[in-house]
Amino acid sequence: MALSMLAQESGSVTSEQIEHLHRRFKQLSQDQLTIRKENFDSIPDLEFNPIRGKIVHAFFDKRNLRQESDGLAEEINFEDFLTIMSYFRPIEMNMDEEQLDRFRKEKLKFLFHMYDSDHDGKITLQEYRNVVEELLSGNPHLEKESARSIADGAMMEAASICVGQMGPDQVYEGITFEDFLKMWQGIDIETKMHVRFLNVDTIAHCY
Amino acid sequence: PGQAPIAPKSHSPSNFRCFMPSLLLKVAQIGSFEPPVMLCRVLLVTRNEPCVPIQKDGDGFPSFHLYHKLPSIVPESCLLILVGLLLGGIIFGAEEKSPPVMNSDVFFLYLLPPIVLDAGYFMPTRLFFENFGTIFWYAVVGTLWNAIGIGISLYGICQISAFGLTDITLLQNLLFGSLISAVDPVAVLAVFENIHVNEQLYILVFGESLLNDAITVVLYNLFKSFCQMRTIKVIDIFAGIANFFIVGIGGVLIGILLGFVAAFTTRFTHKIRVIEPLFVFLYSYLSYITAEMFHLSGIMAITACAMTMNKYVEENVSQKSYTTIKYFMKMLSSVSETLIFIFMGVSTVGKNHEWNWAFVSFTLLFCLIWRALGVFVLTQIINVFRTIPLTFKDQFIIAYGGLRGAICFSLVFLLPPAVFPRKKLFITAVIVVIFFTVFIQGITIRPLVEFLDVKRSNKKQPAVSEEIYNRFFDHVKTGIEDVCGHWGHNFWRDKFKKFDNKYLRRLLIRENQPKSSIVSLYKKLEIKHAIEMAESGMISKVPSSVSLSDYHEAKIKPLSPTEMENMREILTKNLYQIRHRTMSYNRHSLAADASEKQAKEILIRRRHSLRESLRKTNSLSRERPAAANTKRFLSLPKNTKLPEKLRVRNKTSSRVGDSSDSELDAATTVLNLRPRAGKILRDQRLRQQRPLPEFRVEWKNEVDGSQVGRGEQQDPSTLPQPSIGFRQPLLTRPRFGTLSREDLTADHGSARPMPPPRLVRQASQGDRPRNKRTIDNKPWTY
Repeated sequence: MALSMLAQESGSVTSEQIEHLHRRFKQLSQDQLTIRKENFDSIPDLEFNPIRGKIVHAFFDKRNLRQESDGLAEEINFEDFLTIMSYFRPIEMNMDEEQLDRFRKEKLKFLFHMYDSDHDGKITLQEYRNVVEELLSGNPHLEKESARSIADGAMMEAASICVGQMGPDQVYEGITFEDFLKMWQGIDIETKMHVRFLNVDTIAHCY
Repeated sequence: PGQAPIAPKSHSPSNFRCFMPSLLLKVAQIGSFEPPVMLCRVLLVTRNEPCVPIQKDGDGFPSFHLYHKLPSIVPESCLLILVGLLLGGIIFGAEEKSPPVMNSDVFFLYLLPPIVLDAGYFMPTRLFFENFGTIFWYAVVGTLWNAIGIGISLYGICQISAFGLTDITLLQNLLFGSLISAVDPVAVLAVFENIHVNEQLYILVFGESLLNDAITVVLYNLFKSFCQMRTIKVIDIFAGIANFFIVGIGGVLIGILLGFVAAFTTRFTHKIRVIEPLFVFLYSYLSYITAEMFHLSGIMAITACAMTMNKYVEENVSQKSYTTIKYFMKMLSSVSETLIFIFMGVSTVGKNHEWNWAFVSFTLLFCLIWRALGVFVLTQIINVFRTIPLTFKDQFIIAYGGLRGAICFSLVFLLPPAVFPRKKLFITAVIVVIFFTVFIQGITIRPLVEFLDVKRSNKKQPAVSEEIYNRFFDHVKTGIEDVCGHWGHNFWRDKFKKFDNKYLRRLLIRENQPKSSIVSLYKKLEIKHAIEMAESGMISKVPSSVSLSDYHEAKIKPLSPTEMENMREILTKNLYQIRHRTMSYNRHSLAADASEKQAKEILIRRRHSLRESLRKTNSLSRERPAAANTKRFLSLPKNTKLPEKLRVRNKTSSRVGDSSDSELDAATTVLNLRPRAGKILRDQRLRQQRPLPEFRVEWKNEVDGSQVGRGEQQDPSTLPQPSIGFRQPLLTRPRFGTLSREDLTADHGSARPMPPPRLVRQASQGDRPRNKRTIDNKPWTY
């Protein structure tokens, strides 16, 4: 396929980077055209990542793949792979305000989808607890209770930031995307959320 | 710096005597302890008046606080130099001879290490290593560029015979260039502290100032020895380059090694807690001295040692030792900084000068030009390798922040006069440059930062959710990097962490329990909130009669002054945000601490609180009068704090209402803050049935009788104390860890915010139980 077309579609990923990623894709898919979830098992370092499940899931999430439907895709091809990767490209100097804002929203949306596992557009308390438990799962000394308390505390913080003071019969359903944006306001995600695609040498240990 | 002999010159009292104004001189001639007396006086004049309250708008820096506008306009360092000038002037006038200049040995051996130690200990390591490439690039290549550029251009100026400078050789110029191009960490710290630029910018300038010591040492020694040599061969230049690597890397290695030794030592000190701080200071100073002894870079050694120690020692030492270390370090560095600037002022006055318009002005000009050029050119190169390129604004601030200070001052005094006949000229030039950078650049940098709208640091409270996000984010990035097969920063960091966990921590830390930063932060915040709750409970000291009658069953007990002190101490760190950049590298205020047991206590309480969030809404009505006066300090809503207040009251109900527990568990999938009338009523009845003495006895057992138990010994009937608005101190001592889970009160995670009007209404209604029964009808809307 026309790599240059791909490049334009996915934004500013250069053709060299695309070639790198293509090589990587072929490695992961074992020279097939598509990748399935099982292919991700072949990455050794990913095993140690506590939120491994969510990351892999994110690759197959149809919302991230910019497809109209919802749910999980069975397999993704290189174009989809590139789409996911494009969420992690660094900002450029020549972006204007609007582009930056859109950029930032895209990245945050990606993160939001990772939190919101049931695809209902809200991060409920249970989902949040899930996330925290997973995050802290690498630590055997930590009680589950602590993880839950932490999640609850964080949720309350979110409630205060997003809704302010709430009435007694108000129910805080969950964190919507707008609230999520509010919470990340102070953090410049666009500068932090990037992976350098330069010097991507597929290393021998990733087979 | 490498040349300073280890044994300092004798600081005979006569040296110091000159510092005193003649009046004091007469008085102090009586005693033989003049140096300390003089030193104390100087320090007291410029340091703290302990009773001066810390101003929120100022810097929190104790001195000069009576004029609280002043520190925001003029950096501390300028004022100190002025004081020094004044002192020097007095001495000069009184004794008709120059006051002794700052002894370079004193500076390098005693005054500089504490400042660097303090800076290294509280350096945000993560940010530092993320930007390490850039910092290193600026420090090494930048300083080289500056040194050689200034040296050569000055040499060009000296060639012009009109200025009368032709006797200064190229090598002397190069040496001068090398010593004046060193950006000074002391000055940078002093100035950047006030202006709160974003962390990245700060770490670039500050990191550069720390790392360039290696280059400065090498260049200085190199050129000095070249000056004294007859011929210079090419091999010598290469030796110089090799020397740089040895000096830099050697210094760092010594620092890391001694840091490990310190960490290892503290692993075994749990029986002798009292001397734990000693090890920290001892080993760091040892690293500095050792490095200097081998003519390596002492600053890099002590920085590396401090950064290493910080990671491991923190977990080994007791809470009190840690606090001691922090405070003592801050104190030492503050004192050193003051003394350095004052000495600089004092040493300026005198007969050490030779003025030459051309040399001085061109020195200043070239310093500025070469710095600006250097930063610009280097940034263009390094931007290729950075993912986030540095903008022009950043570059300008970096260039403008290249302040010179006491290091070049001391270095110039160390020049051997035999080789440098025009030494006085150099001294004058250095002084002019330093004064210019400290005064002019120091004062104008703040308006410039505002004018250029440079990104400032976020003075936000650390929030648990942020920590969670950050952690989540890191894992996502690492995961994606793994998928890409890309070795990024995260990869190396992960690898280091694994190595660290596997080997280093096992070796160096006593009870190696992997701690999560999320949990630590959460615990810290919990304690903070809890204390605030207690404190805000304190604020509402005047209860209404209504609230008084409500709290008859509660155990109200006034906080003792010592408890208040402790809480205040911890609170001031958090509430009064003095120069709060991030918690880690603020020089003059310290990050909050948390003790393990207290933290656990809070976590457990939290858990209970949320579980019972639905039950206790009616008791909030009692809380309202007090809560009405609470101040909002944090982002957490009022409702999260109130529950903790109620812990005292509702402790037993958690035990009594077992059935409600299970209900609640089921209900807490959604953070539902809607009260449930039936349960409320039920609980209300339960609560009123709760026996009071039982309640009290528990507290007595658990908590230190002297502190908390005061109210407990009293008769229940005398309970309605005037200090009604008061909550139990939630955490005063680590002894809280003895509380078992059952003792924890139910919390009210779903408390409402309470507006004052309610208070009025309540007072008019009088009978509280009646109010509670009518909960069904009134949704507690506020």
